[in-house]
Amino acid sequence: MDILDAQSKDLKTINKILKEKLNGTPLKIKNVTKLHGLGAGLKHGELIVEGNAGDYLGVLNAGATIRVTKNTAKYLADNMTSGMVIVEGNADYGAGQYCYGGTIVVRGSAGDFTATMNKGATIIVAGNVGDEAGTYMLKGDLVVVGNAGKNFANYLIRGNVYLGGECESYGHNTKLEPLTEHDLAALRGYFETYQIKSDPTTFKKIVAASEKPFYH
Amino acid sequence: MAITGAFCVSVNKELCINARMPGKCATCAEVCPHNVYALDVQTGEMSVINFNACVGCRICAEFCPADAIRINPAEPEYITRYPWTLAAIEEIHYKAQTGEYLLRGFGTQGQSPNFDMITVVPSQIASDAPRDKYREECDLEVIIGEDTCEKPVVLKAPFVWPAMSFGALSKEAKMALAIGAAMTGIAANTGEGGLVPEEQWLARGYNDRQMTNKKWEPGGYLIIQWSTGRWGVSADYLNSGDAVEVKIGQGAKPGMGGHLLGAKVTEDVSRVRGVPVGSDALSPCRYYDVQTLDDMKHMVAFLRDVTNYQFPIFFKLGPSRPYADVSACIEAGADAISIDGMVGGTGCSPDIVTQGVGIPTIACIPPAVQALKDHGVHRKVKLIALGGMRNGLDAYKAMALGADAAGFGSAAEIAMGCRVCYACQKGNCPYGITSPRPELRARLDPLVVGQRLANFIHACTEEVKILTMLSGHSSIKELSTEDLRAMDLNTAAMTGLKLCGYERPLPIWEEAFKKPGGNGHKKVPAERTSQIHR
Repeated sequence: MDILDAQSKDLKTINKILKEKLNGTPLKIKNVTKLHGLGAGLKHGELIVEGNAGDYLGVLNAGATIRVTKNTAKYLADNMTSGMVIVEGNADYGAGQYCYGGTIVVRGSAGDFTATMNKGATIIVAGNVGDEAGTYMLKGDLVVVGNAGKNFANYLIRGNVYLGGECESYGHNTKLEPLTEHDLAALRGYFETYQIKSDPTTFKKIVAASEKPFYH
Repeated sequence: MAITGAFCVSVNKELCINARMPGKCATCAEVCPHNVYALDVQTGEMSVINFNACVGCRICAEFCPADAIRINPAEPEYITRYPWTLAAIEEIHYKAQTGEYLLRGFGTQGQSPNFDMITVVPSQIASDAPRDKYREECDLEVIIGEDTCEKPVVLKAPFVWPAMSFGALSKEAKMALAIGAAMTGIAANTGEGGLVPEEQWLARGYNDRQMTNKKWEPGGYLIIQWSTGRWGVSADYLNSGDAVEVKIGQGAKPGMGGHLLGAKVTEDVSRVRGVPVGSDALSPCRYYDVQTLDDMKHMVAFLRDVTNYQFPIFFKLGPSRPYADVSACIEAGADAISIDGMVGGTGCSPDIVTQGVGIPTIACIPPAVQALKDHGVHRKVKLIALGGMRNGLDAYKAMALGADAAGFGSAAEIAMGCRVCYACQKGNCPYGITSPRPELRARLDPLVVGQRLANFIHACTEEVKILTMLSGHSSIKELSTEDLRAMDLNTAAMTGLKLCGYERPLPIWEEAFKKPGGNGHKKVPAERTSQIHR
């Protein structure tokens, strides 16, 4: 497998190489913590980031698979439309915001405002999430295996939010619903696919109380 | 909101076909979207049943086959009862009844400082001689991103259509704007509501998806807006235009995100935005994925990267602290900065925000220009003035104050047929401009209206040319504040222009000119430019 060392290279150079080289075989890259926007708008291929990654990793991802062996900084996979991003460690503030599709798996914990304005992606956090996760979510799934902070799923409009642990407080326009067979099957599928050890039957399902919650 | 009770509906019964022959005509009731008229199905008689509902759009008068209807503003109310006008009274009643605040479309009402108290100084014997508009050339071109991207935007006239989203405007209105841009070589803008596919080829002058058949010369440009709601945004979306605009704010509701009420979220809009049909699409007031100025720089960097360094990056600002805001945009890497004054238009906004928040366009331009000069990029990073531009005269004044181009948003809507009824948010626009209803949209033919928009731009271009040349210039790049004078103290104080008769800027400005940024407009420290409130 090719290994690309990004040390002292700028974003333009590295992303150009990625667009050209990411075809059949996966590409490994290291020393990328200072590159903010690595892999922006990739359409195909598999990228393995060795170590930690900077802000906006995989922004506007449109089909590529990105794996990170350690942690990611802010705004992981921002505005992704398709593809997959898997983080073995933790993700900082704002992971998976504005996504229209694709899958994000964070094996550790994720920060505040995770999955904000999710519009169709599947976002799975095996650890805990911070405050305001799932804010103004419009579609897609958010699965949090651990605990959540304040205002969880605030102003949820559509989509499914599953919580394995406890949360400090639920946001506006949320209500709890019993898990259906379909939900259990979906959760089981996620846990098997991404090798997460958890019991789907212990999860809570949070849905929107109304599709028209705003006051003028 | 529309001003309730502000219009008198009068029907001349001698001319009215229905009054003479009940049942023979019901045009006014058919075209009025606000239920001002009612037809008695038993007798066939037409009557005005709801005077207060009239918003002054005048569609009934326009369609009346007998020319029997007149809609007149109830102006004496404003004089005799002010401030307790009928509108103020109705507003209080509305709030008392519903517990809701008012929403309004279009823009501000009433007087606010504007370009009217600025006059143009013509050339005579003691200055450069005037140029001959009829027999000499005048350079009106504006190039954006010349040194920073592979495909700069080259405006053939110094104008743009500001961002107006699909959803706020109908698909047909969006198509008309694109056609108007193609016919005149200016730039259309997607707004924040995603892409109407036809805009891509119409704005460039083609009438087919494959862009093989160029129909309109010289062809224009399409600016793709990147906003806080990120509706319909993908890498392909960003690459479907000729420039990317990062929306920070807008004149009508600075500090708030876009509002699209559920009444206008149809199947089509829902598909693009991902919001359920009938549910309000309310954009966040700030970027959830920007917390610091560094983040904004990174955002600009990846936007350039995703678009392969081909397109210029625009920023759009609401009217807040122009010097500091423009400085931040320059540092973030903008190629062009649009600044939208408080008179800027909107599809929907809280009434009090549109009316009472932000600063006027004429007060935005001088500090914005000062910021560009202090960074050494005036005329390199282009400044586009928006907000209340009505004609070539307003645009000329904005450019002489230091802007490079001007945008016509509200004026474009009026050129499309709008009669300014302030009810865009309801989705009942009788001219099909801001309505999602198919029967109303059918009234707007994009080809016909696109030509009207092009005509308007042609006329304004000629106006700018006249004024530029009579001031002794052969290029808009030569314009300066020396070409203008303020006609009152307020305008002189706000703009720093020389006062007519006094022939100097006011002393407060003369003092300010002694040091950069000294006109009270200080740069905000980087740590305070955070977008986050927590």
